[in-house]
Amino acid sequence: MEKILTKKALPQWLIKLNAYQIYAPVKKENHWSYEALDKPESIRLDHLNTIQSPKMIIFPQREVFFEFHNAEGNTLVMKEPASESSATVIFGVRPCDAAGVTHQDKVFDGHFKDLYYWKRRNQTILVGLACNTPPSPHCFCLSVGGSPHSTAGFDILMTELEDSYYVESFSKKGDTLISLAGDIFSTPKENDKKDKEKAHSDSEKKLKRHIKDLETVPPKLKDMFDSPLWEEESLSCIQCGICTYLCPTCHCFDINDEKDSSSPLSGKRVRTWDNCQFPDFTMHSSGHNPRPDRASRLRQRIMHKFNYFVTNYKAYQCTGCGRCIDKCPVGIDIIEVLEKVRDYGK
Amino acid sequence: MENNHYIPKVARIINIKNEVEGARAIKTFRTQFAGDDGFTHACGQSAMLSVLGKGESMISISSSPIEAEYLQFSVLKTGRVTSALHEMKVGDMIGIRGPYGNGFPIDKWTGKNLIFIGGGIGLAPIWSVLQTALGKKSDYGNLTLIYGSRTSKDLVFKEELRGIKQEMAVHLSVDNEEDRWEEYVGFVPNNLLDKNPSPENAVAITCGPPIMIKFVIKNLQDLGFKDDQIYTTVENKMKCGIGICGRCNIGPHYVCKDGPIYSWAELKKLPQEY
Ligand SMILES: Cc1cc2nc3c(=O)[nH]c(=O)nc-3n(C[C@H](O)[C@H](O)[C@H](O)COP(=O)(O)OP(=O)(O)OC[C@H]3O[C@@H](n4cnc5c(N)ncnc54)[C@H](O)[C@@H]3O)c2cc1C
Ligand code: SF4
Ligand code: FES
Repeated sequence: MEKILTKKALPQWLIKLNAYQIYAPVKKENHWSYEALDKPESIRLDHLNTIQSPKMIIFPQREVFFEFHNAEGNTLVMKEPASESSATVIFGVRPCDAAGVTHQDKVFDGHFKDLYYWKRRNQTILVGLACNTPPSPHCFCLSVGGSPHSTAGFDILMTELEDSYYVESFSKKGDTLISLAGDIFSTPKENDKKDKEKAHSDSEKKLKRHIKDLETVPPKLKDMFDSPLWEEESLSCIQCGICTYLCPTCHCFDINDEKDSSSPLSGKRVRTWDNCQFPDFTMHSSGHNPRPDRASRLRQRIMHKFNYFVTNYKAYQCTGCGRCIDKCPVGIDIIEVLEKVRDYGK
Repeated sequence: MENNHYIPKVARIINIKNEVEGARAIKTFRTQFAGDDGFTHACGQSAMLSVLGKGESMISISSSPIEAEYLQFSVLKTGRVTSALHEMKVGDMIGIRGPYGNGFPIDKWTGKNLIFIGGGIGLAPIWSVLQTALGKKSDYGNLTLIYGSRTSKDLVFKEELRGIKQEMAVHLSVDNEEDRWEEYVGFVPNNLLDKNPSPENAVAITCGPPIMIKFVIKNLQDLGFKDDQIYTTVENKMKCGIGICGRCNIGPHYVCKDGPIYSWAELKKLPQEY
């Protein structure tokens, strides 16, 4: 389904979606972040990339698996918390972040399905915004199989035109969102379509960063396990974990118990994001650590994204959003690391 | 309804045996599911044991699937969860989820001579397959166990070892001389060379500390064992147990679901430090 929505009418559309929980980018002091949108008229889609991707909504940083307590007669009771999630629409999602969701889908849909993830994922509708100008100077989606107007993962993709949005729906869920406010949409004219296509092709030219010949990196990495490169590139890392926490594709987590009371026993088992850049991520209780230093942990981050994930899922586990480059406090730049891998020994 | 893999099933501890005392204590627990929602396992699989309020630990199921009435786990006391397990008493409730991992390919081993080589707590993961082989002895050739630990006090399943001596070859060892120790003195890999098992129609299964495994494999190769005749288990820190939390990988493999049992032919293709 393809429609035109005037910019002025955007809040009216949102009003019609009042049965949904709506998230949209909200401007904070010095960044943008996804927030639950209370007032439809406050919606703005002129955002730079949000500090966190919508990963934080579908796969929250902390979530309760179950509550437990000791009951009468020395029995244990474990109960899933009542579901609080409802049908959710996330507005203004960038194509790289939607691609990130599709990568997470692969992981949480393996041999064992993660029901907590899928409960929210199945209720989430992704409404995207094509990037007519790259929202970050470090965007490199084109190099990793994406594009500023990629439709992967979207129910709807909007492209900003002069006074309107070109709205394309790719799913039943997307069609439903449009039909809920049917009368405010109009049918695109031939020149709308042309404008949209021009916006798309122009946007590709505006990307500043690229990795040439990235396809040579995965096979090359196979023989670089013991390379001194990892040591050299990781020397400045302070192991803050920002790169992986902010990554729209990183999915590693920890599971821990939070005790509310010891006697009688009660508490919760919770999942929280975890991070391969931390030493205790792989540390055995004996103290042995198969990844004992920064070099082995940077290697894991790069190998996972550009070798193991490619082996397992035929895709790079990176969508080119540029967050890890933007936010690394010591300036470790994944593009530069990949270029060094590519050129290593040449 | 689809299965929620993260919620354990409730099980009761029905028996506890002290195997090893002291700083590196080992206890063997037998458990029974409280409800009728339990599971059956294959030899070499593990389960996530929960002490609620403390957390979870991956522990090998050391009982044979033939013993359907209970599950058995031998646990080395080392950290938060395993110490809490050691505090528990018969009748206490724990959580169990699983079974996880690939298990030993015992169907491929019919008619073969099986040589089990273990060190310390490493006997636990191979105990289920050893028991299964003993239970169906006519399906296999000769059965041999080469097992050792630092001192005779650190050997697990002491009683059971005495029992199975009637049925199969058992060669024990301790690292240093001890009073009244009549068997081999020295490291397990050396005892292996000393006993010199033939690779002819044989499979070797080894589990123990990484350094022991390394030398056992080397010595097996020296004895003429081919890479696909050698099986071992890999231990990595685990949380989810189902290939999602991203923690336990060696290369593209998640040990929790693709392992933990590998033939040396498979394992040597993977990175040696992870
Ligand atoms: C496939 C497999 C089979 C195992 N079988 C046995 C067995 O039969 N008997 C036995 O005594 N031990 C076994 N272990 C090791 C056992 O899982 C750890 O010793 C145990 O988890 C330590 O937990 P803790 O809470 O006491 O230690 P802590 O140091 O407090 O660990 C905290 C948490 O980290 C994780 N963790 C830490 N070390 C390990 C580790 N080495 N392996 C896996 N997870 C770890 C666990 O989730 C643990 O709860 C096995 C490990 C694996 C991977
Ligand atoms: S953001 Fe930079 S400093 Fe922090 S863990 Fe990642 S690479 Fe290291
Ligand atoms: S323990 Fe989570 S991936 Fe293996």
